[in-house]
Amino acid sequence: MALRSDPEKLLRQVMARFVREEVAPVARQVDESGHFPRELFHKLARMHAFGLRYPVKNGGAGGNATLYCIMCEELAQGLMSLAAIAAKQCLMATNFLHRFGDQEMRERYFLPALRGELVGSFCLTEPEAGGDLGRVSTTAVRDGQDWLVSGMKTWITNAPVADFFTVLCQTDADKSIRGLNFFFVPRDTPGVSVSPGFHTLGTRSTEISEVAFSDCRIPGRYMLGQEGKGLGALLAILAEIRAMTAALALGLAKAAYQAGFQYARERSAFGKTINHYQLIQAKIANLATEIWAAELMLYDTTRKIDAGQRPSKESMMVKYYATEVACRAADEATRILGAYGYSMEYPVQRYFRDARFLLYGGGTHEVLQTNIARELGF
Amino acid sequence: MAREAGSFLGVAVLVKQVPDSAEIKMDPQTGTLLREGVPAVMNPDDRLGLETALLLKDGLDASVTALSMGPPQALDVLSEALAMGADRGVLLSDRNFAGADTWATSYTLGRALERLGQQESLDLVVCGRQASDGDTAQIGPQVAEHLGWPQVTYVERLAVEECELRAWRRLPGLVQEVLCPLPAVVTVLASPVAPRWPLLDRLLMACRSEAPLEVWDAADIAAPAASTGLKGSLTRVVRTFSPKSGRVTSWLEGSAGEQAQALINELRNHKLI
Repeated sequence: MALRSDPEKLLRQVMARFVREEVAPVARQVDESGHFPRELFHKLARMHAFGLRYPVKNGGAGGNATLYCIMCEELAQGLMSLAAIAAKQCLMATNFLHRFGDQEMRERYFLPALRGELVGSFCLTEPEAGGDLGRVSTTAVRDGQDWLVSGMKTWITNAPVADFFTVLCQTDADKSIRGLNFFFVPRDTPGVSVSPGFHTLGTRSTEISEVAFSDCRIPGRYMLGQEGKGLGALLAILAEIRAMTAALALGLAKAAYQAGFQYARERSAFGKTINHYQLIQAKIANLATEIWAAELMLYDTTRKIDAGQRPSKESMMVKYYATEVACRAADEATRILGAYGYSMEYPVQRYFRDARFLLYGGGTHEVLQTNIARELGF
Repeated sequence: MAREAGSFLGVAVLVKQVPDSAEIKMDPQTGTLLREGVPAVMNPDDRLGLETALLLKDGLDASVTALSMGPPQALDVLSEALAMGADRGVLLSDRNFAGADTWATSYTLGRALERLGQQESLDLVVCGRQASDGDTAQIGPQVAEHLGWPQVTYVERLAVEECELRAWRRLPGLVQEVLCPLPAVVTVLASPVAPRWPLLDRLLMACRSEAPLEVWDAADIAAPAASTGLKGSLTRVVRTFSPKSGRVTSWLEGSAGEQAQALINELRNHKLI
């Protein structure tokens, strides 16, 4: 067999350099701007990053869940907002179009989204429905050949800058979750309105808002997937969504750990650098151990996804665990830095704020723990 | 053979895998580089050389071959070169090549370039000015000598016009514009634009078995063992270390005038004025 490079190693190396040279120098400025990082978004698009996990024949790079998560992890080490935006564009924002869109949708929306010319968004959560999808009240009603979409979605990442939405709707309330279906709604459809962006604790340049749909008329073919199969279509990528969230968490945890590690070797107190004190050593040792565990869990899960499995339990476990590690790493890093960890001059405060973003996407940890227990037979 | 105006341009770019200087650390006790666990990357100057070649390819009927010498893992820089837009990658890898100084390295590269020239037209060889782990800046000029081609060094911009090359050389305090017949060797210290990022689809393609990557050994380039590697080297690196430096503080005493005179004397003693 011909000698060839390891794509995982090479991708990680390229993305790490991208983060070091392109992201890190502007991360603070982008975060403080509170605006969608369009320049970095276009740089990623020019690298063909958004098609990473799609087949070559469909305009992608031919990657898989493992490679996708490696990219997300590396980006998250630089700037969580950018990582979250890229992660969404690669998966949730374009996946239903890729699987169920017709030729016109592919040419007009999917391929331009991979090129970064259009931004996609994914509308699942509602004011009264998060993890409990049975309570989704946004409706899609048949009207001749068309559908009329009405309802309110909230906490929609990228909505203020989105050009199109993939929207989870109820088509038959009597069927509860079996009446759920996804619909494609272009931003310029009459009846779509997007609220101003929310003010959030972290991921400030990921613009998040509400989206209201008022009798939005879309053609019948804009139903993405077979009627009544919406939940199944979501479950097909849910493990990957959770693994991706874990990858973002792992990247943030590594960045926070590195910040604490480096500072501890530079900062002196009582005549020696603080890495010589056992309480600091314990923090570093615990974080390194937990990060290693999270990494093993994550890539074990992605390899199962790549093998065609649906590792539901493992994906919930790693999303839950890696995010808790990220929160702990950010917390400990701010403690190792002492008062400097409280200063806006150092990035650890951003890690601390951004880590909270990961607690909710892919399921709150309270819901996930319940679901994990259920999968264990409780 | 002289190139005909407007015809296909064959370009080879020399790329070296070096330790990532952003990650490298020094052992404070021994003063040596700690290479353990340091990722290996494409030499930064070679990345500029590759970008310069790819810019030519963007505007001309040209093909770019990336050529590297090193152990099997050096294939990674060629995969990255393909991802940036190179058409082909060739790795020179053979136990006999190990331990080469710049003379033996440039000889080996020269043999490979001659073979490339026999396979397809080769009009231009682009090298980075120097490698970040050696800083000799000798490979480009020595390759030119081995090939018997003219060379232009310290280039920051390049254009191919008819049958010759127009190059802008950055020298201390000035830029020199020169014309040079093809074929030629250039060494590059800057590129007009920042080197392009690898395309991820091409990156993954470069890792597949059908990627246009080849590994050549000593037999492929008919390089005798006596002329390559340690045996073919004219120099030996005995030791690499950081020079030790320290600071000594002298207190100047007396009146302001006496202090000024003492300072002048110190500066004179150290031949600083």
